[in-house]
Amino acid sequence: MEREPWIRGVIKLIGKESRMSGAITIFKKELKGFYNNPTFYLICGFIATLFSYVYPISVKRFSGLLESFMMQPGIPKQQLNIHYSVFVQQLSYLNLILILVVPAITMKLFSEEKKLHSFELLMTSPVTSLQIVLGKYLAAVTAIFGLVFLAFSYPLATSTMATVNWAPLIISFFGIFLVGGVYASMNLFCSSLTEHSLIAFVMSVLFNIAIWFIGMGVEVVDSEWARKLFEHLSLSTHLGNMVEGTIRTSAIVFLCSVIGFFVFLAERVIESNRWR
Amino acid sequence: MLEVKDLTKDYGPRRAIDHLNFKVNKGEVVGFLGPNGAGKSTTMKIITGFMAPSSGQASVAGFDVFENPLEVKRRIGYLPETPPLYGDMFVADYLSYVAELKMVTKERRGALVAAAIEKTNLGDVRHRLINNLSKGFRQRVGIAQAIVSDPEVLILDEPTVGLDPKQVAEIRDLINGLRGQHTIILSTHILPEVQALCERIIIIHQGKIVAEDSIENLAHMGASHSRLHLRVRKDVEDLRKVLNAQQGLLKVERGHSGRDWIVEVESSDEAISNVASSVVQQGLGLLEMSQVKVDLEDVFLKLTYGDKHGARAMDPRGHQVDRKGV
Repeated sequence: MEREPWIRGVIKLIGKESRMSGAITIFKKELKGFYNNPTFYLICGFIATLFSYVYPISVKRFSGLLESFMMQPGIPKQQLNIHYSVFVQQLSYLNLILILVVPAITMKLFSEEKKLHSFELLMTSPVTSLQIVLGKYLAAVTAIFGLVFLAFSYPLATSTMATVNWAPLIISFFGIFLVGGVYASMNLFCSSLTEHSLIAFVMSVLFNIAIWFIGMGVEVVDSEWARKLFEHLSLSTHLGNMVEGTIRTSAIVFLCSVIGFFVFLAERVIESNRWR
Repeated sequence: MLEVKDLTKDYGPRRAIDHLNFKVNKGEVVGFLGPNGAGKSTTMKIITGFMAPSSGQASVAGFDVFENPLEVKRRIGYLPETPPLYGDMFVADYLSYVAELKMVTKERRGALVAAAIEKTNLGDVRHRLINNLSKGFRQRVGIAQAIVSDPEVLILDEPTVGLDPKQVAEIRDLINGLRGQHTIILSTHILPEVQALCERIIIIHQGKIVAEDSIENLAHMGASHSRLHLRVRKDVEDLRKVLNAQQGLLKVERGHSGRDWIVEVESSDEAISNVASSVVQQGLGLLEMSQVKVDLEDVFLKLTYGDKHGARAMDPRGHQVDRKGV
């Protein structure tokens, strides 16, 4: 009996789903690896300590400002908003932390496999390179989600004492999470290039810093077209929008395509190991 | 079960393996023998799909390794030279992970992991971190991960390298125990190992197969010519002159004095008795004449390192093989 094309499509899709089980296996294993690893908790502890130190200071400064703003007429309106003066500041700290911490999370993902020769196990198992990369990437992103959530718990606690505008808060944290995803994809790619974790780490940090400077090209080009291009390639333009609480399709598309691009590159590097 | 056709791999300008052709039947235990750097690991890596060849084909259970890599990998258990272990995992968890990776269904997983642990005798260490295991145990975990998916083909790359003699014996027993359940290919450069384990040997040297036969045939390979050790009473300048007219004489070699000689003749009773009678007729005083046993080691050394004297060796099919060309 000839099946309807859409039924065949669904069957094909389900078939594909079951073939993704390799990625899920690797994802689970890596995630367990993160959450069973003392290093991860060390990182969490470090972030918690840092925020516990810095966050109350900015909250206190903000409340001091609110008490005295009558006497200081020149204060920009933005600073009287808790979102800008406390949360956004926290996000910039979080970004700085992610620049250094995401490489620490991802550096071992491939380099360690190569060093331990377990890479041979992965490559001779019935999983495709794409599944391997996706499994590892998703695990890294989930770990980053944990870190972002840890940071998010501070505004969450603040909401018990102050009125918080939830939508921009969540959107801005989602934005920083996506940026973390961009770091993860670039750093996963770095890890796939070498079998030394340290080299992967240093390379990753350089990548994470460098991506913030792409936007500076706006300053050096004359043509309108090139200026727009650089503006679009700038991570800060897109993150800036989300921090203000606006989700733009262009931002999501841009961030996701950067992620997709580096995941693709990592997959190519892994696949190319077969040909060397 | 497994077929390799014209397999060639170049590492840059260096040719690691050169047009390999061989077949392995279902249930066979085949030894892949060769000196270090002969191309054993490269061949195994290609069969497992870890690496692509420069040209040629390999297929497992009718599936081409490159057209259908997933089907092939599902059917293969592979122990690389260095066992692929995660030091921060427990033995049982690790095996379960490998089983999952090899697409073993959830229902079968527990039983297969338990079976692999039992076969490799890992029961005592199943809840220990792999990092804390000794080398012998790690090797066993390596073998356990290769058999945990109950693969049709088992590829073991130097499974006993670097182990102490007792561990080597244990691993050999283990592999012997796996006979019949899997088609096994194992590579090694240790001869007693293949003698103890394999039914058939493929000897590879500088990327080419130089011999491929059963152990008995290979061990008898030297049987086409007999090696005789002669001890005579008188000093002889050159025994070759004495035996010159002899039929079937292949080689005469001086031992540590003019009284000790090694003579190679064609393997026939007539040729051997002729040597004896010539020596006696010349009145040299035959003290001792014994046949030197040619064993697998001689065959192997001859095939891989060539004959010291540049003689032409025989390949198992009885053809003459020019050593220089190999």
